[in-house]
Amino acid sequence: MPQLLVALIKVVVILGFVGVNALFLIWLERKVSARIQNRVGPYRVGPPHGLLQTIADAIKLLAKEDVMPGAADRWVWFFAPVVMFIPAILVFLPIPFGPQLIVKDLNIGILYIAAVTSFSLLAIFMAGWGSNNKYSLLGAMRAAAQLVSYEVPLVLSVIGVVMMAQSMSLVDIVAGQERIWFVVPQILGFIVFFIASLAELNRTPFDLSEAESELVAGYITEYSGLRWGFFFVAEYTNLFTASAIAVTLFLGGWHGPLLPPIIWFLIKTYFLVFVAMWIRWTLPRVRIDQLADIGWKFLLPVSLFNILLTGVFLS
Amino acid sequence: MSTLGFFREVVDSATSIIKGHVVTIKEFFQPPITVHYPEEKLELPKGSRGIPALVVNEEGRLNCTACGLCARACPPQIIDLKMLVGSDGKKQQYPEYFNLDMSRCMQCNLCVEACPFDALEMADAYELSGYELEDLMYDMDRLADIWKNHKSVRIAGGEKI
Repeated sequence: MPQLLVALIKVVVILGFVGVNALFLIWLERKVSARIQNRVGPYRVGPPHGLLQTIADAIKLLAKEDVMPGAADRWVWFFAPVVMFIPAILVFLPIPFGPQLIVKDLNIGILYIAAVTSFSLLAIFMAGWGSNNKYSLLGAMRAAAQLVSYEVPLVLSVIGVVMMAQSMSLVDIVAGQERIWFVVPQILGFIVFFIASLAELNRTPFDLSEAESELVAGYITEYSGLRWGFFFVAEYTNLFTASAIAVTLFLGGWHGPLLPPIIWFLIKTYFLVFVAMWIRWTLPRVRIDQLADIGWKFLLPVSLFNILLTGVFLS
Repeated sequence: MSTLGFFREVVDSATSIIKGHVVTIKEFFQPPITVHYPEEKLELPKGSRGIPALVVNEEGRLNCTACGLCARACPPQIIDLKMLVGSDGKKQQYPEYFNLDMSRCMQCNLCVEACPFDALEMADAYELSGYELEDLMYDMDRLADIWKNHKSVRIAGGEKI
Protein backbone atom coordinates (compact mmCIF):
# COMPACT_ATOMS: atom_id res chain seq x y z
CA MET A 1 0.00 0.00 0.00
CA PRO A 2 2.60 2.66 0.93
CA GLN A 3 4.30 1.97 -2.39
CA LEU A 4 1.07 2.75 -4.23
CA LEU A 5 0.67 5.90 -2.17
CA VAL A 6 4.20 7.04 -2.99
CA ALA A 7 3.61 6.38 -6.67
CA LEU A 8 0.35 8.32 -6.51
CA ILE A 9 2.06 11.28 -4.84
CA LYS A 10 4.78 11.24 -7.51
CA VAL A 11 2.14 11.27 -10.27
CA VAL A 12 0.26 14.15 -8.67
CA VAL A 13 3.45 16.16 -8.14
CA ILE A 14 4.57 15.66 -11.75
CA LEU A 15 1.14 16.43 -13.24
CA GLY A 16 0.89 19.54 -11.09
CA PHE A 17 4.35 20.61 -12.11
CA VAL A 18 3.53 20.01 -15.79
CA GLY A 19 0.44 22.21 -15.56
CA VAL A 20 2.08 25.07 -13.68
CA ASN A 21 5.22 24.86 -15.81
CA ALA A 22 3.26 25.04 -19.08
CA LEU A 23 1.31 28.08 -17.86
CA PHE A 24 4.54 29.74 -16.74
CA LEU A 25 6.39 28.95 -19.97
CA ILE A 26 3.59 30.32 -22.16
CA TRP A 27 3.69 33.51 -20.12
CA LEU A 28 7.49 33.56 -20.34
CA GLU A 29 7.46 33.02 -24.10
CA ARG A 30 5.09 35.94 -24.56
CA LYS A 31 7.15 38.13 -22.25
CA VAL A 32 10.47 37.25 -23.90
CA SER A 33 9.08 37.83 -27.39
CA ALA A 34 7.59 41.12 -26.23
CA ARG A 35 10.80 42.36 -24.67
CA ILE A 36 12.88 41.36 -27.69
CA GLN A 37 10.47 43.40 -29.81
CA ASN A 38 10.53 46.33 -27.34
CA ARG A 39 6.94 45.66 -26.27
CA VAL A 40 5.54 44.96 -22.81
CA GLY A 41 3.59 41.75 -23.44
CA PRO A 42 0.85 40.48 -21.12
CA TYR A 43 0.41 43.14 -18.46
CA ARG A 44 -3.19 43.64 -17.41
CA VAL A 45 -4.30 40.30 -15.95
CA GLY A 46 -2.77 39.73 -12.54
CA PRO A 47 -0.91 42.82 -11.41
CA PRO A 48 2.70 41.56 -11.27
CA HIS A 49 3.36 41.75 -15.02
CA GLY A 50 0.37 39.79 -16.28
CA LEU A 51 1.33 36.57 -14.51
CA LEU A 52 -2.28 35.42 -14.37
CA GLN A 53 -2.83 35.93 -18.11
CA THR A 54 -2.30 32.28 -19.02
CA ILE A 55 -4.69 31.17 -16.26
CA ALA A 56 -7.35 33.38 -17.81
CA ASP A 57 -6.51 31.91 -21.22
CA ALA A 58 -6.76 28.38 -19.85
CA ILE A 59 -10.19 29.10 -18.38
CA LYS A 60 -11.27 30.47 -21.73
CA LEU A 61 -10.04 27.31 -23.50
CA LEU A 62 -11.85 25.09 -21.00
CA ALA A 63 -15.09 26.96 -21.54
CA LYS A 64 -14.98 26.71 -25.33
CA GLU A 65 -17.25 24.50 -27.38
CA ASP A 66 -15.74 21.17 -28.43
CA VAL A 67 -15.89 21.33 -32.24
CA MET A 68 -15.06 18.30 -34.35
CA PRO A 69 -14.80 18.61 -38.13
CA GLY A 70 -17.56 16.62 -39.84
CA ALA A 71 -15.24 14.74 -42.17
CA ALA A 72 -12.70 13.88 -39.49
CA ASP A 73 -11.58 10.34 -38.80
CA ARG A 74 -13.34 10.29 -35.47
CA TRP A 75 -11.21 8.15 -33.14
CA VAL A 76 -7.85 9.04 -34.63
CA TRP A 77 -8.68 12.72 -34.40
CA PHE A 78 -10.07 12.23 -30.90
CA PHE A 79 -7.02 10.49 -29.45
CA ALA A 80 -4.25 12.52 -31.09
CA PRO A 81 -4.02 15.16 -28.28
CA VAL A 82 -3.91 12.38 -25.68
CA VAL A 83 -1.17 10.53 -27.55
CA MET A 84 0.70 13.84 -27.76
CA PHE A 85 0.31 14.56 -24.05
CA ILE A 86 1.21 11.18 -22.52
CA PRO A 87 4.81 10.87 -23.82
CA ALA A 88 5.42 14.46 -22.73
CA ILE A 89 4.74 13.32 -19.16
CA LEU A 90 6.40 9.91 -19.49
CA VAL A 91 9.73 11.61 -20.24
CA PHE A 92 9.79 12.87 -16.63
CA LEU A 93 10.24 9.30 -15.38
CA PRO A 94 14.05 8.89 -15.54
CA ILE A 95 15.18 12.52 -15.13
CA PRO A 96 16.97 13.16 -11.82
CA PHE A 97 15.84 16.54 -10.46
CA GLY A 98 18.09 16.08 -7.46
CA PRO A 99 20.08 13.37 -5.69
CA GLN A 100 16.88 11.75 -4.42
CA LEU A 101 14.29 13.52 -6.59
CA ILE A 102 13.74 10.93 -9.29
CA VAL A 103 10.69 8.86 -10.12
CA LYS A 104 12.58 5.78 -11.26
CA ASP A 105 16.22 5.29 -12.20
CA LEU A 106 16.22 3.27 -15.42
CA ASN A 107 19.48 1.65 -16.52
CA ILE A 108 18.46 2.39 -20.12
CA GLY A 109 17.34 5.94 -19.35
CA ILE A 110 18.53 7.53 -22.59
CA LEU A 111 17.14 4.78 -24.76
CA TYR A 112 13.84 5.15 -22.93
CA ILE A 113 13.76 8.91 -23.58
CA ALA A 114 14.60 8.47 -27.25
CA ALA A 115 11.85 5.87 -27.58
CA VAL A 116 9.18 7.80 -25.72
CA THR A 117 9.80 11.14 -27.44
CA SER A 118 9.36 9.43 -30.82
CA PHE A 119 5.70 8.92 -29.89
CA SER A 120 4.97 12.60 -30.45
CA LEU A 121 5.56 11.93 -34.16
CA LEU A 122 2.74 9.39 -34.05
CA ALA A 123 0.47 11.94 -32.37
CA ILE A 124 1.31 14.60 -34.95
CA PHE A 125 0.57 12.22 -37.78
CA MET A 126 -2.68 11.08 -36.13
CA ALA A 127 -3.75 14.71 -35.82
CA GLY A 128 -2.80 15.50 -39.40
CA TRP A 129 -4.42 12.42 -40.88
CA GLY A 130 -7.49 12.42 -38.68
CA SER A 131 -8.35 16.05 -39.39
CA ASN A 132 -9.01 15.22 -43.06
CA ASN A 133 -7.69 18.64 -44.03
CA LYS A 134 -4.98 19.30 -46.59
CA TYR A 135 -3.12 21.80 -44.40
CA SER A 136 -3.13 19.41 -41.46
CA LEU A 137 -1.90 16.56 -43.61
CA LEU A 138 0.84 18.66 -45.21
CA GLY A 139 1.98 19.85 -41.79
CA ALA A 140 2.00 16.30 -40.46
CA MET A 141 3.96 15.04 -43.47
CA ARG A 142 6.55 17.74 -42.98
CA ALA A 143 6.74 16.99 -39.27
CA ALA A 144 7.22 13.31 -40.02
CA ALA A 145 10.06 13.98 -42.45
CA GLN A 146 11.64 16.43 -40.04
CA LEU A 147 11.36 14.33 -36.90
CA VAL A 148 12.64 11.19 -38.58
CA SER A 149 15.68 12.95 -40.01
CA TYR A 150 16.56 14.80 -36.79
CA GLU A 151 16.08 11.78 -34.55
CA VAL A 152 19.30 10.34 -36.01
CA PRO A 153 21.74 13.17 -35.07
CA LEU A 154 19.89 13.63 -31.77
CA VAL A 155 20.58 10.08 -30.66
CA LEU A 156 24.09 10.04 -32.16
CA SER A 157 25.01 13.21 -30.27
CA VAL A 158 24.06 11.53 -27.00
CA ILE A 159 26.29 8.52 -27.67
CA GLY A 160 29.39 10.58 -26.87
CA VAL A 161 28.00 11.28 -23.41
CA VAL A 162 27.10 7.63 -22.91
CA MET A 163 30.65 6.65 -23.86
CA MET A 164 32.13 9.07 -21.32
CA ALA A 165 29.76 8.11 -18.50
CA GLN A 166 30.00 4.39 -19.30
CA SER A 167 26.29 4.17 -18.58
CA MET A 168 22.89 4.90 -20.09
CA SER A 169 21.31 5.67 -16.73
CA LEU A 170 20.75 9.39 -16.25
CA VAL A 171 21.71 9.12 -12.57
CA ASP A 172 25.10 7.69 -13.49
CA ILE A 173 25.55 10.33 -16.19
CA VAL A 174 24.92 13.10 -13.66
CA ALA A 175 27.25 11.39 -11.20
CA GLY A 176 29.93 11.27 -13.89
CA GLN A 177 29.82 15.07 -14.17
CA GLU A 178 30.82 15.75 -10.60
CA ARG A 179 34.22 17.15 -11.57
CA ILE A 180 33.63 18.50 -15.07
CA TRP A 181 30.42 19.04 -17.01
CA PHE A 182 30.21 17.02 -20.20
CA VAL A 183 29.57 20.21 -22.16
CA VAL A 184 33.31 20.90 -22.10
CA PRO A 185 34.61 17.68 -23.70
CA GLN A 186 31.35 17.17 -25.63
CA ILE A 187 30.84 20.70 -26.98
CA LEU A 188 30.14 19.37 -30.49
CA GLY A 189 27.67 16.90 -29.10
CA PHE A 190 25.94 19.62 -27.12
CA ILE A 191 25.57 21.88 -30.17
CA VAL A 192 24.17 19.04 -32.28
CA PHE A 193 21.89 17.93 -29.45
CA PHE A 194 20.50 21.42 -28.92
CA ILE A 195 19.86 22.12 -32.62
CA ALA A 196 18.32 18.71 -33.12
CA SER A 197 16.08 19.12 -30.06
CA LEU A 198 14.82 22.43 -31.41
CA ALA A 199 13.90 20.59 -34.60
CA GLU A 200 12.32 17.75 -32.64
CA LEU A 201 10.25 20.27 -30.70
CA ASN A 202 9.03 21.88 -33.94
CA ARG A 203 10.20 25.26 -32.73
CA THR A 204 11.33 28.15 -34.88
CA PRO A 205 13.62 28.08 -36.92
CA PHE A 206 12.43 24.52 -37.63
CA ASP A 207 8.67 24.97 -37.21
CA LEU A 208 7.84 24.04 -40.78
CA SER A 209 5.09 21.70 -39.70
CA GLU A 210 3.04 24.59 -38.36
CA ALA A 211 4.28 27.36 -40.65
CA GLU A 212 1.34 29.72 -40.32
CA SER A 213 2.13 31.66 -43.47
CA GLU A 214 1.55 28.62 -45.66
CA LEU A 215 -0.17 25.91 -43.61
CA VAL A 216 -2.59 27.87 -41.36
CA ALA A 217 -1.48 26.01 -38.21
CA GLY A 218 -0.28 22.71 -39.64
CA TYR A 219 -1.54 19.60 -37.88
CA ILE A 220 -3.43 21.56 -35.20
CA THR A 221 -5.51 23.51 -37.73
CA GLU A 222 -8.74 21.66 -36.91
CA TYR A 223 -8.29 21.64 -33.15
CA SER A 224 -9.76 24.20 -30.80
CA GLY A 225 -10.57 24.63 -27.14
CA LEU A 226 -9.39 21.99 -24.73
CA ARG A 227 -7.86 19.69 -27.37
CA TRP A 228 -5.78 22.51 -28.79
CA GLY A 229 -4.80 23.33 -25.22
CA PHE A 230 -3.53 19.76 -24.82
CA PHE A 231 -1.25 20.20 -27.83
CA PHE A 232 -0.07 23.53 -26.46
CA VAL A 233 0.67 22.18 -22.97
CA ALA A 234 2.43 19.16 -24.49
CA GLU A 235 4.53 21.46 -26.67
CA TYR A 236 5.73 23.53 -23.73
CA THR A 237 6.22 20.49 -21.53
CA ASN A 238 8.38 19.03 -24.29
CA LEU A 239 10.35 22.25 -24.37
CA PHE A 240 10.98 21.94 -20.63
CA THR A 241 11.88 18.25 -20.77
CA ALA A 242 14.20 18.74 -23.74
CA SER A 243 16.02 21.44 -21.78
CA ALA A 244 16.02 19.23 -18.70
CA ILE A 245 17.55 16.36 -20.67
CA ALA A 246 20.17 18.69 -22.15
CA VAL A 247 21.02 19.88 -18.63
CA THR A 248 21.21 16.31 -17.35
CA LEU A 249 23.41 15.11 -20.19
CA PHE A 250 25.69 18.09 -20.72
CA LEU A 251 25.36 20.76 -18.02
CA GLY A 252 26.00 18.72 -14.92
CA GLY A 253 22.39 17.99 -13.95
CA TRP A 254 21.76 19.06 -10.39
CA HIS A 255 25.44 19.66 -9.57
CA GLY A 256 26.25 23.17 -8.38
CA PRO A 257 27.70 25.01 -5.40
CA LEU A 258 25.84 26.52 -2.42
CA LEU A 259 22.23 26.32 -3.62
CA PRO A 260 20.17 23.12 -3.18
CA PRO A 261 20.39 20.67 -6.14
CA ILE A 262 16.79 21.12 -7.30
CA ILE A 263 17.27 24.89 -7.55
CA TRP A 264 20.43 24.41 -9.61
CA PHE A 265 18.61 22.00 -11.88
CA LEU A 266 15.72 24.41 -12.43
CA ILE A 267 18.03 27.40 -12.97
CA LYS A 268 19.98 25.55 -15.67
CA THR A 269 16.83 24.16 -17.28
CA TYR A 270 15.01 27.47 -17.42
CA PHE A 271 18.16 29.11 -18.77
CA LEU A 272 18.15 26.65 -21.68
CA VAL A 273 14.42 27.27 -22.14
CA PHE A 274 15.19 30.97 -22.32
CA VAL A 275 17.91 30.32 -24.90
CA ALA A 276 15.41 28.33 -27.00
CA MET A 277 12.98 31.25 -26.82
CA TRP A 278 15.76 33.68 -27.64
CA ILE A 279 16.56 31.63 -30.74
CA ARG A 280 12.89 31.46 -31.68
CA TRP A 281 12.48 35.23 -31.67
CA THR A 282 15.75 35.86 -33.51
CA LEU A 283 15.94 33.47 -36.43
CA PRO A 284 13.54 33.20 -39.36
CA ARG A 285 12.13 29.85 -40.43
CA VAL A 286 14.35 27.68 -42.66
CA ARG A 287 13.20 26.29 -45.99
CA ILE A 288 12.42 22.59 -46.25
CA ASP A 289 15.54 21.90 -48.34
CA GLN A 290 17.68 23.87 -45.88
CA LEU A 291 16.12 21.84 -43.09
CA ALA A 292 17.12 18.58 -44.75
CA ASP A 293 20.57 20.01 -45.52
CA ILE A 294 21.21 21.00 -41.91
CA GLY A 295 20.05 17.63 -40.66
CA TRP A 296 21.84 15.28 -43.04
CA LYS A 297 24.82 17.29 -44.28
CA PHE A 298 25.82 19.14 -41.12
CA LEU A 299 24.44 17.62 -37.92
CA LEU A 300 24.89 13.97 -38.88
CA PRO A 301 28.58 14.23 -39.96
CA VAL A 302 29.38 16.42 -36.95
CA SER A 303 27.79 13.97 -34.53
CA LEU A 304 29.61 11.04 -36.15
CA PHE A 305 32.88 12.97 -35.96
CA ASN A 306 32.13 13.66 -32.31
CA ILE A 307 31.72 9.95 -31.61
CA LEU A 308 35.02 9.23 -33.37
CA LEU A 309 36.76 12.00 -31.39
CA THR A 310 35.35 10.74 -28.10
CA GLY A 311 36.43 7.20 -28.93
CA VAL A 312 39.97 8.30 -29.77
CA PHE A 313 40.32 10.28 -26.53
CA LEU A 314 38.84 7.58 -24.33
CA SER A 315 40.99 4.73 -25.70
CA MET B 1 31.08 22.13 -52.95
CA SER B 2 34.69 21.88 -51.85
CA THR B 3 35.51 20.89 -48.30
CA LEU B 4 36.99 24.32 -47.61
CA GLY B 5 33.84 25.99 -48.99
CA PHE B 6 31.74 23.87 -46.67
CA PHE B 7 33.70 24.91 -43.59
CA ARG B 8 33.64 28.55 -44.67
CA GLU B 9 29.87 28.36 -45.04
CA VAL B 10 29.50 26.82 -41.59
CA VAL B 11 31.67 29.52 -40.01
CA ASP B 12 29.84 32.29 -41.90
CA SER B 13 26.42 31.02 -40.86
CA ALA B 14 27.53 30.59 -37.26
CA THR B 15 28.88 34.15 -37.07
CA SER B 16 25.75 35.64 -38.63
CA ILE B 17 23.54 33.65 -36.26
CA ILE B 18 25.56 34.90 -33.28
CA LYS B 19 25.37 38.48 -34.58
CA GLY B 20 21.59 38.19 -34.80
CA HIS B 21 21.37 36.92 -31.24
CA VAL B 22 23.52 39.79 -29.98
CA VAL B 23 21.06 42.23 -31.58
CA THR B 24 18.01 40.60 -29.99
CA ILE B 25 19.56 40.26 -26.52
CA LYS B 26 20.50 43.95 -26.61
CA GLU B 27 16.89 44.81 -27.42
CA PHE B 28 15.77 42.44 -24.66
CA PHE B 29 17.50 44.55 -22.05
CA GLN B 30 16.19 47.86 -23.43
CA PRO B 31 13.14 49.21 -21.62
CA PRO B 32 9.98 48.75 -23.69
CA ILE B 33 8.79 51.78 -25.62
CA THR B 34 5.14 51.10 -24.83
CA VAL B 35 3.18 53.91 -23.12
CA HIS B 36 0.54 52.38 -20.85
CA TYR B 37 -2.26 54.46 -22.28
CA PRO B 38 -4.97 54.98 -19.71
CA GLU B 39 -2.40 55.45 -16.92
CA GLU B 40 0.24 57.28 -18.94
CA LYS B 41 -0.40 59.59 -21.83
CA LEU B 42 1.86 61.07 -24.46
CA GLU B 43 2.34 64.84 -24.52
CA LEU B 44 0.36 66.08 -27.50
CA PRO B 45 2.08 68.44 -29.92
CA LYS B 46 0.82 72.02 -29.88
CA GLY B 47 -2.01 72.43 -32.34
CA SER B 48 -3.33 68.88 -32.13
CA ARG B 49 -6.85 68.90 -33.49
CA GLY B 50 -9.45 66.94 -31.56
CA ILE B 51 -12.67 68.88 -31.49
CA PRO B 52 -13.69 72.46 -32.36
CA ALA B 53 -14.43 74.22 -29.07
CA LEU B 54 -16.14 77.54 -28.33
CA VAL B 55 -13.87 80.24 -26.88
CA VAL B 56 -15.00 81.83 -23.62
CA ASN B 57 -13.84 85.45 -23.05
CA GLU B 58 -12.94 87.24 -19.80
CA GLU B 59 -16.57 88.11 -19.11
CA GLY B 60 -17.44 84.43 -19.17
CA ARG B 61 -19.43 84.82 -22.39
CA LEU B 62 -18.82 83.17 -25.73
CA ASN B 63 -17.03 85.08 -28.45
CA CYS B 64 -19.52 83.58 -30.90
CA THR B 65 -21.88 86.00 -32.66
CA ALA B 66 -23.91 83.28 -34.34
CA CYS B 67 -23.01 84.64 -37.77
CA GLY B 68 -23.19 81.12 -39.21
CA LEU B 69 -19.99 81.26 -41.31
CA CYS B 70 -18.63 78.16 -39.61
CA ALA B 71 -21.78 76.24 -40.48
CA ARG B 72 -21.39 77.35 -44.10
CA ALA B 73 -17.71 76.36 -44.17
CA CYS B 74 -18.26 72.92 -42.64
CA PRO B 75 -17.91 70.26 -45.37
CA PRO B 76 -20.00 67.56 -43.66
CA GLN B 77 -22.46 70.26 -42.44
CA ILE B 78 -22.54 69.18 -38.84
CA ILE B 79 -22.83 72.60 -37.18
CA ASP B 80 -26.35 73.68 -36.41
CA LEU B 81 -26.81 77.10 -34.78
CA LYS B 82 -29.38 79.83 -34.40
CA MET B 83 -29.04 83.46 -33.33
CA LEU B 84 -30.69 84.42 -30.06
CA VAL B 85 -33.75 86.67 -30.40
CA GLY B 86 -34.41 88.81 -27.33
CA SER B 87 -37.81 89.37 -25.72
CA ASP B 88 -38.05 92.70 -27.54
CA GLY B 89 -37.78 90.92 -30.88
CA LYS B 90 -34.25 92.20 -31.61
CA LYS B 91 -31.45 89.85 -32.64
CA GLN B 92 -28.80 89.53 -29.91
CA GLN B 93 -25.55 88.65 -31.86
CA TYR B 94 -25.26 85.58 -29.62
CA PRO B 95 -26.16 81.94 -30.27
CA GLU B 96 -29.46 80.60 -28.97
CA TYR B 97 -28.08 77.12 -29.58
CA PHE B 98 -24.89 75.82 -31.15
CA ASN B 99 -24.93 72.09 -31.79
CA LEU B 100 -22.07 70.03 -33.14
CA ASP B 101 -22.46 66.44 -34.35
CA MET B 102 -19.07 64.92 -33.45
CA SER B 103 -20.06 61.56 -34.99
CA ARG B 104 -19.35 63.13 -38.39
CA CYS B 105 -16.70 65.77 -37.61
CA MET B 106 -13.49 65.22 -39.59
CA GLN B 107 -11.29 67.69 -37.66
CA CYS B 108 -10.60 69.64 -40.87
CA ASN B 109 -10.23 72.98 -39.04
CA LEU B 110 -12.24 74.83 -41.75
CA CYS B 111 -14.81 76.14 -39.22
CA VAL B 112 -11.95 77.64 -37.19
CA GLU B 113 -10.46 79.29 -40.28
CA ALA B 114 -13.83 80.65 -41.31
CA CYS B 115 -14.60 82.27 -37.95
CA PRO B 116 -14.05 86.07 -38.11
CA PHE B 117 -14.57 86.58 -34.38
CA ASP B 118 -11.92 84.19 -32.91
CA ALA B 119 -14.78 82.28 -31.39
CA LEU B 120 -13.73 78.77 -32.43
CA GLU B 121 -10.51 76.96 -31.56
CA MET B 122 -9.36 73.40 -32.06
CA ALA B 123 -9.03 71.71 -28.67
CA ASP B 124 -6.75 68.69 -28.21
CA ALA B 125 -9.43 66.63 -26.43
CA TYR B 126 -9.38 63.21 -28.05
CA GLU B 127 -11.16 60.92 -25.59
CA LEU B 128 -14.55 61.65 -27.09
CA SER B 129 -16.12 58.21 -27.40
CA GLY B 130 -19.34 57.47 -25.56
CA TYR B 131 -21.89 54.76 -24.99
CA GLU B 132 -24.81 56.58 -26.62
CA LEU B 133 -25.07 58.44 -29.90
CA GLU B 134 -26.26 61.45 -27.87
CA ASP B 135 -22.86 61.54 -26.16
CA LEU B 136 -21.41 62.72 -29.48
CA MET B 137 -23.92 65.56 -29.89
CA TYR B 138 -22.27 68.60 -28.34
CA ASP B 139 -24.23 71.70 -27.34
CA MET B 140 -22.61 75.07 -26.65
CA ASP B 141 -22.18 74.51 -22.90
CA ARG B 142 -20.23 71.31 -23.44
CA LEU B 143 -18.12 72.92 -26.16
CA ALA B 144 -17.31 75.82 -23.84
CA ASP B 145 -16.38 73.36 -21.07
CA ILE B 146 -14.03 71.56 -23.42
CA TRP B 147 -12.36 74.87 -24.27
CA LYS B 148 -11.91 75.63 -20.57
CA ASN B 149 -10.52 72.23 -19.68
CA HIS B 150 -8.20 71.47 -22.61
CA LYS B 151 -5.37 73.09 -24.45
CA SER B 152 -6.57 74.60 -27.67
CA VAL B 153 -5.13 76.67 -30.46
CA ARG B 154 -6.53 78.67 -33.33
CA ILE B 155 -4.99 77.74 -36.66
CA ALA B 156 -5.70 79.93 -39.71
CA GLY B 157 -3.87 79.90 -43.01
CA GLY B 158 -1.51 77.24 -41.69
CA GLU B 159 -0.31 79.54 -38.88
CA LYS B 160 -1.00 79.02 -35.22
CA ILE B 161 -2.51 82.18 -33.80
